[in-house]
Amino acid sequence: MSLQYHLKLSPGDVAPYVLLPGDPGRVPLVASLWDESRVVASNREYVTFTGTYRGVPISCTSTGIGCPSTAIAMEELARVGATTFVRIGTCGSLQERVRTGDIAIFDSAARYDGTSSLYAPVGFPAVADHDVVEAAVAAGRELGYPFHVGTTRTADTFYALHPRPGSSFGDYWQSSWRDHFEDLRRMNVVAAEMEASVILVLARIWGLRAGGVAVVLDDVLEVSGESGRFDPQEQFEHGGDEIERLARMGSEVVRILAERDAAA
Amino acid sequence: MSLQYHVELSPGDVAPSVLLPGDPGRVEVVASLWDEARQVASNREYVTFTGTYRGVPISCTSTGIGSPSTAIALEELARVGANTFVRIGTCGSLQDRVRVGDVAIVDSAIRADGTSALYAPVAFPAVAHHEVVDAAIEAARDLGVRAHVGTSFSTDLFYVPEPGSAFGGYEQSAWRERYADVARTNALVAEMEAGVLMVLSRIWGLRGGAIALVADVAEERDEAGVWDPQASFDVSEEPIDRLARMGCETIRILTERDRMRRA
Repeated sequence: MSLQYHLKLSPGDVAPYVLLPGDPGRVPLVASLWDESRVVASNREYVTFTGTYRGVPISCTSTGIGCPSTAIAMEELARVGATTFVRIGTCGSLQERVRTGDIAIFDSAARYDGTSSLYAPVGFPAVADHDVVEAAVAAGRELGYPFHVGTTRTADTFYALHPRPGSSFGDYWQSSWRDHFEDLRRMNVVAAEMEASVILVLARIWGLRAGGVAVVLDDVLEVSGESGRFDPQEQFEHGGDEIERLARMGSEVVRILAERDAAA
Repeated sequence: MSLQYHVELSPGDVAPSVLLPGDPGRVEVVASLWDEARQVASNREYVTFTGTYRGVPISCTSTGIGSPSTAIALEELARVGANTFVRIGTCGSLQDRVRVGDVAIVDSAIRADGTSALYAPVAFPAVAHHEVVDAAIEAARDLGVRAHVGTSFSTDLFYVPEPGSAFGGYEQSAWRERYADVARTNALVAEMEAGVLMVLSRIWGLRGGAIALVADVAEERDEAGVWDPQASFDVSEEPIDRLARMGCETIRILTERDRMRRA
């Protein structure tokens, strides 16, 4: 197996530890925190940098938005030698205690996506590797960021499933959406995003390791308010600060994991 | 809320951390490892002992077999003050590397049960609390027990879905590759209670986890192609003692870490 079709990566191009943001534009930003880095591939929504962070080999590959493109990234990264996947992304909060700017550490995901069900039945758990969760908890403590360990809801939609008309174009809406977020809140789900489930399911079935950390940009239950109007450009908290915190968190998780792996 | 309908427990009767075997006959075996223990309730399949283990308050309640009776035990135990649930049970192995006598530290479960789906859609993950998983890993290390961390297949069926296991040779075409497909997902073991325990603990914001002793190989058949648990299961005294010790040590480690964090 040599050059991969979508990612344009070959064996040797990536470190065993790979950070996975969605946005290709964020990859150079993440890599700017490292000791040294170089771009090793760029094709479609897939941009990959490889380098070292505090002495630890590390890579960062963007997945694009959603589970289908993320599964392709995972398949091809695994083929070129990646063994540990840490998603770094943004999310909305479903719990009052989880506030904008906080970090969510995903130990599991509720599977409202299509792709992961094509690999394993929906009853199969989307669960993070224990080592990754423990490393993320240690990273959160060291960096002094407020963090929460819990379950995320991964869904294949950004604009659908909101409780009131106003999120999808033209006020398109379905009554089954009304209680989606509220029911998740009652299940103690902490966050909502679009990629974690497929990352966790694929890593688990392949015997590889994965986990996820995300910075909270909004409160899903409040963001559209009484009007139902959902305007992420206006409503999301998107200072450079949140994304740098996320990049720092992801890089530290990899460093801690690599150091613990070396000690084991 | 006072006396609970099925488990016949009241607030004060149980410690915050509870071990959950299926078999009521095993509760006393578990409690025999403690510094001191007393039976606090016994009704139907629910037997509860409370005491201390190496200075840590501990309880043990049997759940009976399967998710329905386990959900009732969890509902009522939570009402009387339990906040940490550690299942200790037996399981069948789905992977060659997981051998009879080994222990599976179950960090998650495939939800092939009915009860948990009545609480939360099957897309919701059955996942153990990471502190319970971490404590169990340390317990295995301390005790020198061969342990594997991974996913369990939690099913409401004991005698199916495998050709040769249901009475009279009854089978369904959908069963043919059932266990083989589950094994391909990298699931370690199969048992009958971990899924509902993890889902309920998670939705209530409590801690759950499961430790399972491998008593047989799930796909093993005798020469006649029949699956006979009475003949093939190893649930002798030595391995059950190992399982009980794993459970008690997990709760001791968890409780001591909780105390350290509070201090």
